[in-house]
Amino acid sequence: MRVIAAVLAKRIGMAIVTLFGVAVVVFLLLRVAPGDPVAMMIGAGASAADVAELRARYGLDQPLLVQFGIWLAGVLRGDFGVSISLHRDVLELLSERLPATLELATAACAVAVGLGGAIAIAGTLVRGRKAEAAVDGVNGLMLAVPDFVWALAFVLVLGVLWPVLPLSGRMDPSVGVPFVSHFYLIESLLRGRFAIAGDIVAHMVMPVLALALPLAAVIVRILKEALSEAMMQDYVLVARVKGFSESRLVIGEALRNAVGPTLALTGVQFTFLIGGTVIVERIFAYPGIGAMAIDAVINRDLPLIQGLVLVFGALFILVNLAVDLGAVALNPRLRHGG
Amino acid sequence: MADSATIIATTGAPSRGRRRLQALARQPKVVWGGGFILFLVVVALAAPLIAPHDPLAQDLMSGTLPPLGFADYDPGFLLGTDDLGRDVLSRLIYGTRIALTVAFVAATLAALVGTLLGLLAGYFRGVTDTVVSRLIEIWMAFPPVLLSILVVAIMGSGVTSVIAAIAIIDWTRFARVVRAETMAQAQGDYVTAARTLGFGRWTILFREILPNVAPVLLALITLEMGIAVIVEAILSFVGLSVSSDTPTWGGMIAQGRQIIYQAWWVFAAPLAALFATVLAFNQLGDGLRRALDPVMQR
Amino acid sequence: MFTPTRRDTLALGAGALITSLIGPGGVAQAAVGDTLTIAFNVNLPAFDPTVGPSAVNPSIQAIYRSVFDQFVGQKPNLAFEPGLLTAWGWSDDKKKVWMDVREGVTWHDGSPFTPEDVVWSLERAADPKTGNPITFVWSELSNFKIDGKRVTADAKQYDPVLFKWMAFLTGYVLPKAYYTKVGAEGFEKKPIGTGPYMVDEYQGNAFLRLKANPKYWGGKPAFQTVVFKFVTDATSRVAEIESGSSDLTLEIPYEEFDRLKKKKGLTGVATPITDIGMIFINSDDAKTLTKDVRLAANLAIDKQAIVKRLLRGYGVPLATLEAPEYEAFDPSIKVVHDPKKAAALMKAAGYSPEKPLKTKIQTTRGLKPKDYEMIQAIVGMWRKIGLDAEIEVYEVAKHFQLRTSHKLAPFAFYNWGNAIGDPTTSTGFAMFGPSPHSSWKSKDVDAMIGPLWGETDEKKRIAGWKAVSKYVAEQGDVIGLLQYAQPVVYKSELKVIPNISGALQPTLVSKKA
Repeated sequence: MRVIAAVLAKRIGMAIVTLFGVAVVVFLLLRVAPGDPVAMMIGAGASAADVAELRARYGLDQPLLVQFGIWLAGVLRGDFGVSISLHRDVLELLSERLPATLELATAACAVAVGLGGAIAIAGTLVRGRKAEAAVDGVNGLMLAVPDFVWALAFVLVLGVLWPVLPLSGRMDPSVGVPFVSHFYLIESLLRGRFAIAGDIVAHMVMPVLALALPLAAVIVRILKEALSEAMMQDYVLVARVKGFSESRLVIGEALRNAVGPTLALTGVQFTFLIGGTVIVERIFAYPGIGAMAIDAVINRDLPLIQGLVLVFGALFILVNLAVDLGAVALNPRLRHGG
Repeated sequence: MADSATIIATTGAPSRGRRRLQALARQPKVVWGGGFILFLVVVALAAPLIAPHDPLAQDLMSGTLPPLGFADYDPGFLLGTDDLGRDVLSRLIYGTRIALTVAFVAATLAALVGTLLGLLAGYFRGVTDTVVSRLIEIWMAFPPVLLSILVVAIMGSGVTSVIAAIAIIDWTRFARVVRAETMAQAQGDYVTAARTLGFGRWTILFREILPNVAPVLLALITLEMGIAVIVEAILSFVGLSVSSDTPTWGGMIAQGRQIIYQAWWVFAAPLAALFATVLAFNQLGDGLRRALDPVMQR
Repeated sequence: MFTPTRRDTLALGAGALITSLIGPGGVAQAAVGDTLTIAFNVNLPAFDPTVGPSAVNPSIQAIYRSVFDQFVGQKPNLAFEPGLLTAWGWSDDKKKVWMDVREGVTWHDGSPFTPEDVVWSLERAADPKTGNPITFVWSELSNFKIDGKRVTADAKQYDPVLFKWMAFLTGYVLPKAYYTKVGAEGFEKKPIGTGPYMVDEYQGNAFLRLKANPKYWGGKPAFQTVVFKFVTDATSRVAEIESGSSDLTLEIPYEEFDRLKKKKGLTGVATPITDIGMIFINSDDAKTLTKDVRLAANLAIDKQAIVKRLLRGYGVPLATLEAPEYEAFDPSIKVVHDPKKAAALMKAAGYSPEKPLKTKIQTTRGLKPKDYEMIQAIVGMWRKIGLDAEIEVYEVAKHFQLRTSHKLAPFAFYNWGNAIGDPTTSTGFAMFGPSPHSSWKSKDVDAMIGPLWGETDEKKRIAGWKAVSKYVAEQGDVIGLLQYAQPVVYKSELKVIPNISGALQPTLVSKKA
């Protein structure tokens, strides 16, 4: 346990450095961006004085370093500023939207792992036969299809030609449910409101699949390769001599050893998913941080973009920390340092 | 922008294999993938010769003509026309130029930056490694799609911005892999031998280690090219890619999507080209890795 | 597009399974009942209708007008009507204004609406610190006095358009007591107005659910519940209406409009609205863009063909920045498509398709249907007369910044809205040099426009603006392209009164008897 504590302490120290770096980079990047949030707000006939007054109001007239200092001091106090285009507290907005994206990304990740895992195992079981070539071939094709193409295909097939699923949003707008948290799916399940949970799931099916299918293809690729390699290891050969069935060899023996790299990959992919839902959220009008991010960039909503990037950075670090700690806890070799 | 390339390129044991042309030729993936890319390069270079029409020539009166095999087909336009009456086939052919330019230049730039930093960090370790590793982590903590949209918003839309966005975001992919690979290679006997022979640090790094990292790098670059093609399409889709009326596949997809029920071919043709190209880059990258990796050849 | 693989069948199967689990209630397929569901084209960023970029977004006014009331109302044919003010006007010496405030109106929280609210709203609108983009109009009034239901105020100068602004952008009345109590953020969380609908639930980027205001002074609205779904992707909006999930949608590609309105159970209407496609010309480039070149650029554009082929006939070609519904529209001003004359003008200036004049045009992409395609078509037409324009795509944010700093490209395409139809808010701000929104700044045009701002004689004022339009067209200082039509598709059992201002208010939708 002491090793884990030491790793944790070191990682937290590094995380602070990383977050500070992220804050600096995003701040500088946004200040060199053309497109002035104030220019967006002024209407026909506004005077130069009006513009100056508005700029002062959002602190945009201060020197860069001062602006950064003010913002950073605020962030440390938990004050991320007020969104220029939405007139709301940035932290509050993030805490409303992030759960939607988290639920979406988590579900997509789970589906991808389940689907990818199953296919990889099936592919390993039939290895050497024509079926394996088919699995590899189809998977190769799937790797070349980006998520937005899946999304478009789903809208066409499941939304229009055979309209069985709701096309947009996170839940049926006519359902009035007083949610306490913003994790609607989790909360509705916990409170036993299964009809509502079903509605939320129905809304999630298409975006989740669009995000999950490309990831599943990657997982199939990695896991299948790791499995093939594990199948050639001595302990599997020994087990085979002992007369274990093929499926027991694959699932019982090889999988246990092949699962490590796949899980590490899934951790990385999970953070990419959280930041990569932008286009899918837009197509399905899903109210997560992705949908908000595009609007924020278009409106040059500096405080909101800064908050978004910072929160994403923190999440990225957290997930990686969890994956690393998991690896340390699982792997006895790593536990002794090295 | 999944991080699949890194993973695909690095799975399997670290490679120390040398280039073996025979091995390459035995890999059907290399033959097919490379063959298709070669074909695209020829198409791109010979575009003015083989394109039946000027890709910019428009005629509003002959808009959305269907492709060969459909009613109202006009023999001059094999794949039909778009809503401005431009020849889809010619635009597809000229679009190859942008797609390949973005793919080659962006992937090479990302590889250059990433490889250099990765080599330095992996070989010198210590402070250099700490700085580079921190930089990589900071960079990876940015949401990639948002960052690319931001970069294009800052630089203005255009091929240069798209290339810059890809290079700025994806260099970490190369840096991480090359760093790990260099660390492994630096432990190798041949490096120790070179050191005993009195070779300088830079000589060892670029003459001994780099060639041994090259196979993995090559596979990674190829896969990155596939990613670059997709990123260009995504940015076009959001409306941020190349902006002049220069034909790009992504731009054609975005344009065709609006009229998918009236002129599906405007949407389908570039999508098919995109898919085939990404597939070819993926297969080539995968094949290269298998062919150049001795472990994989067992 | 893709061949169905085993995986696809799996996905389809999963979809069917889930649907069967949740039953038919999961998808709204039912006929229109007491709820009207609108697949809306823009997201509602914020509720305060008087501040920020959303305040000047013409589409969003549909939502604002549902929850709030304007000082002065506006009918769908742009005519003004009493709103929260029942009567208004200038004093005889044109130095003061008077307004009569409607009585017996209550806010959504039940508290009474008073003249205090009107005065507070006007004073707040004039304060630049709130971020109101139209303060230059509201700051004309000061020294408010309340006498019974009548409010009077002093005016800095006579402004013939002042009361029109009261039906236009940011001309909304907000609750003084409530707003001061809860503050800006509290108001965003639970906004109240006097409008026909009350905010029931709001989820940013997802939906807004409104319920009827039973005590509305204008009568109880037709629907008990109105849902705005924010679906910013046009193709997704098409899918929404086609699958029956929404009852009404707008701003979809014209091809899709034609297809959908023929479908059983759907119908559509596409009326010209107060949105104009136009191309700014930058006066800083007057050296190369001489009068001849500018006129050639104008004459080379086949607006008829663009409207007919690209916009499928949905649009009205224009010669100026004034549309037929606007007060200063002059049908006698014509810019006739004449590529031969255009080529001759260019040749006289020393340019030809072989030796073209290189220039640049900026455009939005996807802001209005076919904007980008239209500019590509125009560049194609220009290429034939020896004008070689490179296209650069910009976003609205960048356009605004370039415009206010007078750095637009030689040619810059933009979509100019003008819901009150007054010439000051179209030709005026777009062409007057000192305005931060003009790109063509020249002394001759300014000299004509200058005296018109405070002109007290309405007939002379309109005639003056017509003369400006004519002069500008003759000089080729700006390119007016066309007036947009707004496509609206809805279920056949609905009746929709299209709004020329483009604000598709739910109060204009009803069930067929």
